Amino acid sequence: MTTGFPKINLMKSVLKFIIAITGVLSFSACDQFLDVNENPNAPGATTLPLSAKFPSALVATVNLEVGLHNQVGAFWGGYWGTTNEGVGLYIDLKTYNGPEIRHQRDGIHIWENNYNTLLYYQLIREEAQEKGALFYLGAAKIMQGWHFLRLVDVYNGVPFDDALQGTKVLSPRYEDGKTVYEKAINLITEGIVDMKSTLPGTEASTDDILFKGDKTLWAKFGNTVKLRALVRQSQVAGQASYITSEIQKIQQEGSGYLGVGQSALAQPGYLNTAGKLNPLWETYYRNVQGVSTNAREDIRPTNFLLGKYQERNDPRLANLYVAVNGEYKGVIFGNQGTAPAYARAATSLFKGPNENSSRPAALFKSAQQASVLLGSFESLFLQAEAAQRGWLPGSAQTFYEQGIQESFKYMEVPAAEFAAYNAQALVNFEQAPNKIERILEQKWLALNSLNSLEAWSEFRRTGFPDIPVSPSAPTPTARPLRFMYPESELMTNGEQARKMGGDDTLKDAVWWDR
Amino acid sequence: MHKKLLIAFLIYLGGLSTIQAQERGLRGKVVDEQTGEVLPGAAVTIKGTNVGTTSDQEGRFRLPANAGQTLVVSFIGYTAQEIVIESLSQPLTVNLKENFNQLSELIVTGALGIKRSARELGASAQIVSDESLNQAKTINPIFGLSSKVSGLRINMYDSKVDPAVQITLRGNRSLSRSAGIDGRGANEPIYVVDGMPVPDIARLNPNDIESITVLKGANAAALYGSEGVNGALMITTKSGKQGRGVVKISNTTTFSQVYLLPKYQSEFGQGVNGVYDPVQFESWGDRFDGSMRNFGLPLPDGTQPQLRYAARDTDARLDLFQTGVNQQNDVSFSGGDERSTYFLSAQYVKIKGIIPQDESDRINLRFNGARQFGKLNTTYNVNYIHFKKNTTPDGPWIGAYRYPANFDFGMMKDWRDPLSPGNPLNYFTPQGSWIRNPYFLIDNIRDQTQQQVLNGKIDFDYQFTPWFKALYRVGLYSLSEETRSTTGKFEAPGTRNTVGTVSDGTNNYRRVNSDLILTFNKDFGKVSTRLLVGQNLRLDSRKTTSIGASNLLYPDVFNPGSRVGELNGSVALTQYRTAAAYGEFTAGYDNYLFLTLTGRNDWVSVLSPENRSYFYPGVSASFIASEALDFLQKSSQVSFAKLYASWNKTGNVTLTPYQLNNPYAQSNGFPFGGLVGFYPSLTNPNPNIKPEFVTSFETGLQLGLFNNRLNFEGTYVFSDSKGQIFNANVSRATGYNTAYINAGRMTNSVVELGLNGDVVRTSALKWNVGATFTHINTQVKELYDGATSRQNFRQSYAILGRQYPTLLVSDYVRDPQGRVVVDARTGDPRIAANPDTVGTLIPPYLMGISTQLNYKGFSLGMQFDWRMGGWLYSEIVPAMYSSGTHPATAYNGRQPFVWPNSVIETSEGVYTENTTLKTSSADRAFWNRQGQVQSNTMAKADFFKLRELNLSYSLPKALLGRQKVISEATIGFVATNLFIIRHKDNDHGDPEYLYNNTDGYVSFRQVPPYRTYGFTMNVAF
Repeated sequence: MTTGFPKINLMKSVLKFIIAITGVLSFSACDQFLDVNENPNAPGATTLPLSAKFPSALVATVNLEVGLHNQVGAFWGGYWGTTNEGVGLYIDLKTYNGPEIRHQRDGIHIWENNYNTLLYYQLIREEAQEKGALFYLGAAKIMQGWHFLRLVDVYNGVPFDDALQGTKVLSPRYEDGKTVYEKAINLITEGIVDMKSTLPGTEASTDDILFKGDKTLWAKFGNTVKLRALVRQSQVAGQASYITSEIQKIQQEGSGYLGVGQSALAQPGYLNTAGKLNPLWETYYRNVQGVSTNAREDIRPTNFLLGKYQERNDPRLANLYVAVNGEYKGVIFGNQGTAPAYARAATSLFKGPNENSSRPAALFKSAQQASVLLGSFESLFLQAEAAQRGWLPGSAQTFYEQGIQESFKYMEVPAAEFAAYNAQALVNFEQAPNKIERILEQKWLALNSLNSLEAWSEFRRTGFPDIPVSPSAPTPTARPLRFMYPESELMTNGEQARKMGGDDTLKDAVWWDR
Repeated sequence: MHKKLLIAFLIYLGGLSTIQAQERGLRGKVVDEQTGEVLPGAAVTIKGTNVGTTSDQEGRFRLPANAGQTLVVSFIGYTAQEIVIESLSQPLTVNLKENFNQLSELIVTGALGIKRSARELGASAQIVSDESLNQAKTINPIFGLSSKVSGLRINMYDSKVDPAVQITLRGNRSLSRSAGIDGRGANEPIYVVDGMPVPDIARLNPNDIESITVLKGANAAALYGSEGVNGALMITTKSGKQGRGVVKISNTTTFSQVYLLPKYQSEFGQGVNGVYDPVQFESWGDRFDGSMRNFGLPLPDGTQPQLRYAARDTDARLDLFQTGVNQQNDVSFSGGDERSTYFLSAQYVKIKGIIPQDESDRINLRFNGARQFGKLNTTYNVNYIHFKKNTTPDGPWIGAYRYPANFDFGMMKDWRDPLSPGNPLNYFTPQGSWIRNPYFLIDNIRDQTQQQVLNGKIDFDYQFTPWFKALYRVGLYSLSEETRSTTGKFEAPGTRNTVGTVSDGTNNYRRVNSDLILTFNKDFGKVSTRLLVGQNLRLDSRKTTSIGASNLLYPDVFNPGSRVGELNGSVALTQYRTAAAYGEFTAGYDNYLFLTLTGRNDWVSVLSPENRSYFYPGVSASFIASEALDFLQKSSQVSFAKLYASWNKTGNVTLTPYQLNNPYAQSNGFPFGGLVGFYPSLTNPNPNIKPEFVTSFETGLQLGLFNNRLNFEGTYVFSDSKGQIFNANVSRATGYNTAYINAGRMTNSVVELGLNGDVVRTSALKWNVGATFTHINTQVKELYDGATSRQNFRQSYAILGRQYPTLLVSDYVRDPQGRVVVDARTGDPRIAANPDTVGTLIPPYLMGISTQLNYKGFSLGMQFDWRMGGWLYSEIVPAMYSSGTHPATAYNGRQPFVWPNSVIETSEGVYTENTTLKTSSADRAFWNRQGQVQSNTMAKADFFKLRELNLSYSLPKALLGRQKVISEATIGFVATNLFIIRHKDNDHGDPEYLYNNTDGYVSFRQVPPYRTYGFTMNVAF
């Protein structure tokens, strides 16, 4: 080429120039020029300590529990319905519409949120493993166990071993519900061991928004979650020996369960600022300005729920709801009519300090109240049932009565009212024709709007209490048994999902269902 | 036509001043070679001197000259001629040949802004002149390209004061939906203004544009590398011409009117379950009966608002809209001498929107200049744009199409009055959100934007030797944007409450672009060679900040200082740098055979050091058969014939900065006071991302027939993009929502045809008709790791083995004949468990038809746009079903009915026609369910529209000839979207509209489309 040009000298110098430029580009100067890809806007994983990642993961768990889990459970667990004005709201839940619920955009994203939250713990777990930070390692394992159990309760079989691997495993294999339950229980067991091996002084402190670094409470919490998972298997034939051996392990471990005064309450330090209020408060009660929220305007207790409180002269009722002309008025979940009795103005709203002379009410105490992840009352009712079934030593009645007392305490009922309440035939444990049913009734009344997903799960397991079918259900006997696998999963991992067989909301029960 | 007159007149005036009353010299006459008509105003100069004149009204000229000198005669629209003067004694007759779009002489603006002969291009390029571009006087120049270029698809959407545009050349190549740091989408072409790549040309003054060369594929834009992978729009702005200064003034005023609102039912009014309800906005009440009914609750003074319970005679929803007014005022000055030229322009655009109070205005200033200093040629452009808009967000219309047919918009206007039914405390329904008073939303929720763009560049072009020159070009594009969104506080109980908010933002973007280009030319006998080597550096940086408060104390103090709770704010800084070295070698043989080799190496900052350098080559050839082959050369039918082909591979990185590592951020309320909590991004980062490569092959034929009276071009293109970088949806069980991966493959096969011909070509009447046709077949060949589909957005999917993008919708259970299967028990149509694919959301067949008729001073131009074969999906319909305003919801008087053309499954796979079994109901719940069935909300997106019309009249020269001030005056009528024919099933809006960069997606967030019509006036001095 170059020889074709007459002025070779000039040509040479030009070429030299070009080579110089390209040379510069490909070596050091170029590297400097191009090294501008460090993110100046956000810290990376290595910059942040575990204590900056742990509280956020816990808040994600709590928000899910108080948010989606509670909402689905409250509608399907018999607590909530809507006013006439809200007849078009939550329609997928009212109609048990599995395909709409699994929808990628407008569906209810329990799957997605649980796995995302599991990832937060996975990243903590991996880092803690590497650094030997046993407290965080243990807590992350316990919380992962919590979420996997939740996933099975809603979806039955889900990915466990293959899950949370990022792009390493893009099509995670599903495992059946029973296997995941076992593995989740084992993971919690491991977590408790890690937790207890934590060297003093290396515990989390304020960043542990549940127990402020208290290892024993973490162990109790882990054991309680395991107990919940074991009790859940009560109706499965052939599981008795597994259940008793697992409970035996818990007994051997020795930390016990969450007891009186030992609720797992999350308190990150809620503030009176939009987005920083207690999530239950901000969604179902009032916004930062004190304005009643849209959800509160249209959500009402079901008449079924009010009836259960009323027939027991339950003192919690007055703290839960606002009376209309001196009476508590509810609605029918899934009702499509527009009878005036179910209008906004004719039915009882959630009660809070604004309607309670500025005193805390049952569910709404203050915008900065702690969130309930697992109440002592639930733990006590679980222990009552386990004791009643002979799996735990101790008196079922004592646990039962402590459960009610703890619920009274949480719902701001004076302790003095317990005795009269407990004396009633519909409450008293000794007089109960069916002890298990009685325990579950009281558990159901205590968990109202707090941990409602449990209400739906326990109904599926035991049929207690006899929650009515939604009038909008496809058939008069239809019952929602599960969620279908989400559309997001069918689109990205459909082959694995389809291997699990049927996932019909009305037909295909989860493994522990009765 | 008017342009010729104008220039002629100017030159005439100029001529008068320079050489008056010449006694001696050359005399002559300029005539049209074909018709023999005299040509007044032709420029006549002596080559190499300053001596020049113009022909007079009779086409005659006279100027001092000597024998042996060369005379240059030029006239707009004609091929310039050079004649050596043999003698001064005889008057000279110069025959000029009219330039009928001579393909052989065509000059295009190639990559890097370098002008080159189209004959050597091995890929397709199409030029759009300013006349064609400005036919409809569009405010955004991109709209002026619609349907005029084969392979180019332009969708205008959103009808507010700053309509958005989506532009793709030869289909989609990338699955990525994210925009780069400059804001361009992954499938958007590169915009190059006078050699400087800029992120956007939407706010460029269309009147500043001389021409746009559309380089359609990666092959034509090879030297732009990654950025040219989607083709390039090469914009050349106007420059001054040597001679007397020209002043032009123009005004265009057009009016916008909404049309194509979805149909509504006018039988039933507000209520629930067939019973009237004065506080319910949904139309599920009883039948309209014309009576006066209470509307809402009593006002504070006890009066009860009432409304006639009957559908209005006209579409009540139209009352929400007003006639928009669009005004453009332009002035430009241009001129120059032998060493320098200048072009100075100013434009002021003001738009009053179709929604009350929406408005925008824009000021454009441009100074283009050039000056020669011996061997150094400098060209410099400066463009300043100031743009301002003030709009209300989506709300008013979102409510409007859900209101009953007797809704009285006028009643709601005076909402500030505590006794007005429009006052939020009194508004008939307490739903809140979108169902607040539309006028309250308009007045109270405002988005304001103010943008300033400064764009400039300078070229230093030095001709070292006749065979070597160097060009250094440096340019700056600087955008500074300020935004403010405010919501006025209105304290009221429950859902009637409106929280006061303010959010202020800035967005500063800057690009510095530097190109050094060395060009070597050398001819060896019949062989010509050209080597071009160049180097490019690009620095892009952006800083966005926002600060705001979500809970203001006072309705009229929009400052975060007056707030409850915490201050919101964020800052993002991004930088993107690229360096490139490129080369192009072209060899030509006898000016009819050309071979071009290209190569480019890019270095990009957004990839890891191991992956950030990548090289890619290209080769192309063109063959001018009409000059090479004897029989064609002799043919009287074929004036020009060119065959061309090219192959090219282009690397591309559609990644924004900082995607290689996972950033953590605080959310969910963190920080709670002193407690911090960070979340990882749910996009799985991938430090090993590599460039993706698009291989494309193109071949084509260009023909000029019958003395270039009929021109044809046909092109076939196949492109294959592999290893695409995109943010893939992954199983959530992986923990992440998405992951950056190098996977995915799409192919495009494209057929482009263009035909243009002069049907009539006489001196008085000229009628030109043109058509472009494009067929694009984009196929998804691979996704990733066994995934068979990927959601783009809502119902738009990439599905393996299908056209991209594909519409996937839920549907009813159907028998093999396609009839809907109803539930044997309830009579309700059964909804299928799994969604079904329907077709592609992008029309694969595009056709543009243009016609231009000139008769004396009159000119009529029309541009038709025809798109076929695509589908659309409307999100408006489900809401109209549930709110009972859709015509379907009034079917059979809302009594249970036999679902039309339905069957009952009597036993597995056995279907009998359903003639008796009625649906369980026809109430809200029933129709709400049908609204969720997405097949009810789709339609074919086929359309045929008269996109542009321009009818203008230029004042005859006889009239103007008597005075010397005004050289040209034109008045015209312009219109867009005067008519549209849509598919019969499409009652959803303009099929061209799209939402969130998703083709075929009609959203309720957009106000209905509009048409414009108005007047334009040009005067030149």
